[in-house]
Amino acid sequence: MKSRTQVDPKKPWNSDYIIGILTLIISAVVYFSTRELSRLGGVFVDYVLIASAVLSLLILLKGFVKPEHIKFFDSVIERNNVTTGICILLVYLIILPVVGFLPSSYAFYFCFNLYLTDDRFSIKNILFSALLTSVVVTAFYFIFNGLLEVPLPTSMWSE
Amino acid sequence: MLDFALQGLYQVFLPGHFLLLVIGVVMGIIFGALPGLTATMGLALLVPFTFTMSPAAGLIMLAGIYVGAMYGDAIPAILINTPGTPAAIATTFDGFPLSQKGMAQHGLVAAAVASAFGSLMANIVLVLAAPPLAIVSLKFGPPEYFWLGIFGLTIISTLSTGSVIKGFLAGSVGMLLSAVGMAEIGGDIRLTFGFPELQGGIELIVALIGFFCLPEILSSVIGKRRAAYTEKPVKPSLSVIWEVIKSLLRKPGLMLRSAGIGTVVGFAPGAGGNIASMVSYNEAVRWDKNPEEFGKGTIKGVAASEAANSAMAPGSLIPLLTLGIPGSPPAAVILGALMLHGMRPGAELFSTYANVTFSFMMGLLVAAFLVTTIGCLGSVVFSRIINIPSRYLAPAIIFMTVLGSYSIRNNMLDVWIMFVFGVIGYVSSKLKFHPAPIVLGLILGPFVEEGLVQSMLAGQAAGSTFNYLIFRPISGVLICLCVLALLWPIYAKWRSRQKQEIVTCKMSIEKTEGQNEK
Repeated sequence: MKSRTQVDPKKPWNSDYIIGILTLIISAVVYFSTRELSRLGGVFVDYVLIASAVLSLLILLKGFVKPEHIKFFDSVIERNNVTTGICILLVYLIILPVVGFLPSSYAFYFCFNLYLTDDRFSIKNILFSALLTSVVVTAFYFIFNGLLEVPLPTSMWSE
Repeated sequence: MLDFALQGLYQVFLPGHFLLLVIGVVMGIIFGALPGLTATMGLALLVPFTFTMSPAAGLIMLAGIYVGAMYGDAIPAILINTPGTPAAIATTFDGFPLSQKGMAQHGLVAAAVASAFGSLMANIVLVLAAPPLAIVSLKFGPPEYFWLGIFGLTIISTLSTGSVIKGFLAGSVGMLLSAVGMAEIGGDIRLTFGFPELQGGIELIVALIGFFCLPEILSSVIGKRRAAYTEKPVKPSLSVIWEVIKSLLRKPGLMLRSAGIGTVVGFAPGAGGNIASMVSYNEAVRWDKNPEEFGKGTIKGVAASEAANSAMAPGSLIPLLTLGIPGSPPAAVILGALMLHGMRPGAELFSTYANVTFSFMMGLLVAAFLVTTIGCLGSVVFSRIINIPSRYLAPAIIFMTVLGSYSIRNNMLDVWIMFVFGVIGYVSSKLKFHPAPIVLGLILGPFVEEGLVQSMLAGQAAGSTFNYLIFRPISGVLICLCVLALLWPIYAKWRSRQKQEIVTCKMSIEKTEGQNEK
């Protein structure tokens, strides 16, 4: 029986195909977006496009002749961890300009710290995370904004 | 000249000036170490403060900041795979694997010693040979820059651990990314897809943070839930300092070559520390007896990169002080500081203002020694940073990546670009499509494009673009180096196969002899 933590080993991905197709798509997008450039503005892009198209085709050819197989995730747990991590960061970046730097950063640091903790819902860990969050985020805020006077993202409600 | 040099040294060691130099070095290290803050930014922030100081005091402090920042950028590059400034990109190639092996302190000490050595060598060149070298720097025209960029791209064959085609494909993707924004010549707006913020192009440091820092966190800390940022905890000790210094002293060729490359790239106006460090790293791999050690964590790789990027700093001051041409962005800020004090670059600096000029040069020299001291002793403390459990360190690092990306242009789009590049970097690493050549293409793209387009324009005026691009002395040397660099991996592969065959032959002979004896 297949374990929940294991990805099916029978389905390795041909990385050459993926890379070849993706880079060909990128080259095509760049090609169609740069057809109205002046000669001086477009000459470099054209040369690079030729190189990338030729190399993409070579990689595709290699995928047929001598493919390189890869396994994207070692386990389902790893896949879920990475997806959750990306989602937390995504939410942080979405709320950053909406609620402002300090509230969103407190929330992000607290959630991320708890997420990486094993026993994440114990009272002790929650309190410790809250304390750490307030110290780290406030320290960063004062170093960047107060000391170095680097402007930070703001919102219409808070800073 | 010796009188002026001694007078300059005396000025540096005046208690007030020395204190300013120490403050400058420490601030420079901090500016270099924080991703998003650069040497240029640090210098620009502090130039107004030097206005009230005497010219010598102000310039000595700026010298400290410049030299400190050139070392500081290695700290995050080694510890968390995030170059503090683009000049430290090649430091990550071996610095981070060293950290992963529990040898972060080795990397940090190597960076400090090599930085100081590079800076020292370039300073000696600056003091002794600035005027004649400045004339050579004027011989660098568009074709030379074009070929220097192409030569830089040949490092891809070294960086590509697997398929070389994949490496060059990644490099071309990087060059396409470098085309985003306004064309340097022609002024066309390219590939902005309706985002006006992209007209300035993709910020290099944003791409570096995205491609190098985020994938590592996603892969090891979040994906594999590793408890610490490194596989082996770092156990720093003072004995490591002497061990690394001894080891580097046994490699004078590597150190001198790297410092030489940094100085030469520095005095060619426009080329930066990132090009210096990559070319130097590439040459270190090519000339080493054990090239297979590179990329897996060797102090030689860290030393090659750091000696070059630190030598670039005084090197870039050669055309600045003699001709008023800043060789790098920080040199441009120093030019502003000189003008602020009423000093104009050129012959006057070495006659009327010789005292101040030599104080500045000696400031750079003494700052190199301060960097060694602070860097070596500080390595005991800095290296412990990665022993902090990842559940505390990773959110702080991500937090810094967001702050660093935003602070470059105060723009949320840069943060989004960093995030997208981070995810792409993670996916591409899984696909064995390493992002380092993408970043290399991004760095060298504008350099190559400018050289190419300017050469085309000048070549047409001269009668033949081809002749103009190829038949020039420095271009000829660079073309030969490019060809050599491209053929070298084939030769190295052939040589290692020959060696392997000899070993196999010897083993089979010994085996046969052993059987005969029996």
